[in-house]
This record gives sequence, C-alpha cells and structure tokens, in this order.
Amino acid sequence: MSDVLSMMPAAATPKIAGPGRRSHSRMRLYARRFRRNKPAVVGVAIFVLLVLVAVIGPRIARYSISEIDFLALAQPPGGTHWFGTNQTGLDLYAMTVHGLGRSMIIAVAVSLLTLLIASFLGALAAYMGGWVEKIILGVINFILVMPLFLLEALVAQKTGGNWLWLIVVLTAFGWMVMARVIWQLSTSIREREYIAAARYMGVRGVVVVFRHMIPNIGSLLVVQFTLGIVSTVMSETALSFLGFGIKIPDVSLGSMLIDGQSVLTTTPWAFFFPAGTMTLLTISVALMADGLRDALDPNSAAGGRA
Amino acid sequence: MIKYLLRQLLAWFIRIFLAINITYFVANIFLDPSANYVERRPPISPERIQQMLEPYNLSHNEPLLHRWWDWLTGVVTRWDWGLSPIGGSVNEQIAFRVGVSAQLMLGATIIAFIIGVALGVYSASRQYKLGDRVVQVASIIGLNTSIVVVALVVVFIAIQANRSLGWTLFFVTGSGSIGVEGFGPMLVDKLQHLVLPSICLIFISWASYTMLQRSLLLDNISADYVRTARAKGLPQAVAIRRHALRTSMIPVMVSFAFSIPGIFTGAMLSENIFAWNGMGRYMVTTIYGNDIHGAVAVAAFSSLMVAIGAVLSDLAVVWLDPRVRVN
Repeated sequence: MSDVLSMMPAAATPKIAGPGRRSHSRMRLYARRFRRNKPAVVGVAIFVLLVLVAVIGPRIARYSISEIDFLALAQPPGGTHWFGTNQTGLDLYAMTVHGLGRSMIIAVAVSLLTLLIASFLGALAAYMGGWVEKIILGVINFILVMPLFLLEALVAQKTGGNWLWLIVVLTAFGWMVMARVIWQLSTSIREREYIAAARYMGVRGVVVVFRHMIPNIGSLLVVQFTLGIVSTVMSETALSFLGFGIKIPDVSLGSMLIDGQSVLTTTPWAFFFPAGTMTLLTISVALMADGLRDALDPNSAAGGRA
Repeated sequence: MIKYLLRQLLAWFIRIFLAINITYFVANIFLDPSANYVERRPPISPERIQQMLEPYNLSHNEPLLHRWWDWLTGVVTRWDWGLSPIGGSVNEQIAFRVGVSAQLMLGATIIAFIIGVALGVYSASRQYKLGDRVVQVASIIGLNTSIVVVALVVVFIAIQANRSLGWTLFFVTGSGSIGVEGFGPMLVDKLQHLVLPSICLIFISWASYTMLQRSLLLDNISADYVRTARAKGLPQAVAIRRHALRTSMIPVMVSFAFSIPGIFTGAMLSENIFAWNGMGRYMVTTIYGNDIHGAVAVAAFSSLMVAIGAVLSDLAVVWLDPRVRVN
C-alpha cells in the first residue's frame, strides 16, 4: 500500500498537465460553439449592456431615486427626465437603473448561493446512496409540497424590505428544485471508474463530492446558475409586486411595477421602462443559458452541427 | 390499481397534514395579530389586546402548543379552520374563494397543457424549419417573461381595445358583474371576465410543456420502433401519434405535477392584478392582516392543488405506460 502511495504523485504529475492543456483547447471549442449560436451571442450582448447600464447608469443620473421634482409630476420621457417621472415626481431613469442593479445583485447572489447548497446536497445524496440519499430526497420532495411562495412571503414581509434579507429568504426556499436536478445528474456519474477509484483509495466522501463529482458536472452547473438568475428575478418580482419584497425607499424592477398597474392609461412609461428592462434581462440570460447548454453539452445535437 | 391509488392518497394526505402544521407554526412566528392594534388611538394596552384576541384562539396568554392543539382539533373534528383576528370565519372566506380560484386555474392549466403539447409535437415534426423556429422563439419569450409584466401588458391592450370599440368587451377587474340575469348573459359575462387572466396564465405556462415535449419527441422519432411502424406503411403522422407520442408523453405528464406550484403562484399574481377574490388575493389579505388561520388555510389549498396534480399525473402515467403495472 505504501508503495502505491509513494508512486502516486510521480505517476499523477504528467496527467495533471494533460487535462490543463486539454481544458485550454476545450475552452476554445466551447467558445467557438457558443459563438455560432447567434441568439446566445445576442443574449450576451444585451446582458453586458445591461450590466454596464446598472454600473454606470446611476453615476450619470441627474436625480437620485428619492429626489422628488415637484415641478415635473407625471412627465413623459424628455430632456431633463430621460425616462420621464412618475406621479409623485420621482425620476424614472434613476429608479430603473437602480432597480436593475438591485434586481441583478439579488438574482446573481441567490443563484450562486442556491447553486452551492444544491450542488453540495445533490452530489452528496448521489455519492452516499443508501439512507443518506433517501433522507435528502425525501426532505426535498416534502419541501416541494410546502406552500413555498406563501412561506417566502410570510418571512420576507417581516424583514422590512431589506434586500440582503431577501437574498437569504429566496435562497432558503429556492434550492430544492436545483438540488434534485443536480442529484439526477450526479447519479449518472457515480458509477464511473474514477469515482470508484477514488473511493477504493480511501478518499473521504466530502472530498470525492467536491473534487471529483462537482467539477465533472461543472458545465451543467453553469447552465443551472444562469437559469437560476431568471427564476430569481421572477420570484423577486412576484414578492416585490405584492409588497413583500423590496420596499420604499429602496427600489427594484419588481417594486416599480406596483405603480405601473394604477397608471397604465395615464403614464404608461412608468410601467413600460421597468417592465421592458426586466424582460430584456430575463430573456437575455435565458438565451445565454441556451447557448451555454448547447456549447457545453457533449451530447448536444446543436454542438454536433456547430 | 385501487390499492395503489389508496396508498398514494394516504401518502399525500400525510404530506399535506405535515405541511399544514408546519405552516401553522411558521405563520405563528412571522404573523402577530396584536400588531393590528398597535396604531390604535387611544392606545390599547398589550394585556388588553391579548385579552381581545383570546376568543379567536390567537392570544399569547395561551401557550402556542395549546393554541395549535385547539386549532387542530377544530379542523379535524368540525372542519373549522378557525377565525381571523377580527372574528370572521375562515371557512366562509375559503368557501367561495376556492371556486373562484378553481375557475381560473383549472381551465387555464388544461388549455396550457394541450397547447403546449400540441405545439411541441408540431415543432418536433418540423425540426429546424420555419414553424419550429417560430415556436422556439415564442417559447423562450413565454418561459422568461414575468406574469406581472404579461398581465399588465394584457390589461393595457384590453383597455385600448375597449376604448377603440367604444364599449366594454373585456373586463379588467373582478370575476363577474353584479346583477346579470339569465344563463346566456351570465355565460357571456363570465367569459368577458375570465378571458384576460386565463390568457396571462396560459402565456406563462404553455412553453415548458412545449420545450419538454419537443425534445422528448425528437429523441423518439428516430427510435427503431417508429422506423418499424413507418416500414409497415404507416404515414409519418400516424406513426408519430400512435407510437412516438405515447412514449414521449409520459415524462411530460410527470412534469405536469411539478408545474402546479408555479401555476398557483401565477394565478395568485393574476388574481391580484385582475381583482379576483380568489385564494391568491386572500393570501395577500391574510398576510397583511396578520390572519394566521387564513394563511394556513391558503397553504392547505395550495398543497392540495399540488397533490391533485401529482395524483392525476400518476394516473395518466399508469394509463399511458404499459410497462407500469401497479399491482
């Protein structure tokens, strides 16, 4: 046994360089496949533009999100107020770019945290099998029966519109579906030789999960991450629209839609700017996810055509 | 078959029971009925508030476990879902709201499923042709647009349509008008109210079935048994319908059960936008009114919907899949 162990590093060294080189050319292959997917490229372009708007937009805004212009109530878009103002005289451009940033931060943070929890639990269940798998899956399936939206609303309304708490709430109630998907993906690789090899070498379960299983479904995790962004924007919108999520004085794209309803016929721009921005955001991310899936999936039909 | 069904129903019953009770405790942590009285002028002392809440089984004078037991025995023995913090009966509220929500959810869910599967079959049998591309683009838009945005755009268009017509073709608020008599006029009135929220729900939910149906059918169209069917002389359409579709429908049926919670959330938002007094609107009312018992009743309804969806999709799988023999 000690013989084998002392041999291992020497034998492993050249192999470490191997995957490194290969992954470099693999990256280029992925990039090429992705670039051939026109909708995905459009998605990236829109998304990058939206990120720039969210970062630079607030700096060039002439008004802050809480600054009321009493001389310009319900103004249509124009020179001083680029997106117009709402009925209380707030500048819609400032609110939209701020809300975009807020919605983006929440979406990315929740999706990332969800991914961490889900990939850990999903891969652990798949790796351990037996009663651990049964318990984890049983808990996930049970939580999915729970009235999750009601619970989210219950907890979120208590946090008083703080966006950091909203991240916690959306993560706590949002990781189950992704965990199931990752469990499904992981069960397909748990019978592979390299997992068995690691197991027989006495590598601890947690290490196998993190070092061998999760990296091997990494490409699929990237896709899950992008899809998570879309679903978080949707949940955040739903909560904020009903008044349980982001609240005044803070602004998100979802909370801006509250006004939209009552003023649809009088000042439609108060609805169409935030709604349009949000739809651009979700659709561009979805197009990216689609492109990533086709580019990263070795069995993808479109990958073969590219 | 009956035995299998009974076992499934029992399992769902236990899950729902647990879900409702957990919600009861969560609601007790996050909703505080005494907060309704805080802003009162003249101010009421905290002791007095708790005293006032006592007849509704909401007072902190009694330990939480006691209140829970009283509430649970009420539900189990008398089907009494408790009282709101102002003394209204929860049963009365849900009695008419369940019907209102069901009108909206049932129709829209079934139509969305049929449209979704039909478009999935259509686009799979025309892979990479124009029709397929159009369906693909439409389903990306449908899947990734918030129902709030969809509903408000629909309201905007309906108002413009009403204005240009000069009379009210679509009602954008409420589930029915008051004072409409006779079967014909009532049906027309119902449809005028129902059509907009249903369009919104269908818009956000058809696409997931289409995506799944398309990719599964594409896997099956090239399968050996479909080629055999074609070689026997069956036309492509019949081979797809009788052989490929049957197999590929099964996972779509399974996904149907998992789509129910999303539809419930969607229905809830559209009820709020179109001012339907259904369970979704009730949920918002109960949370704002710190109505613990009402919120738990909403939770029970949503869990029940999930269970019904799951059992139905189970039955459909048994019916579709000859390999599943439940005895």
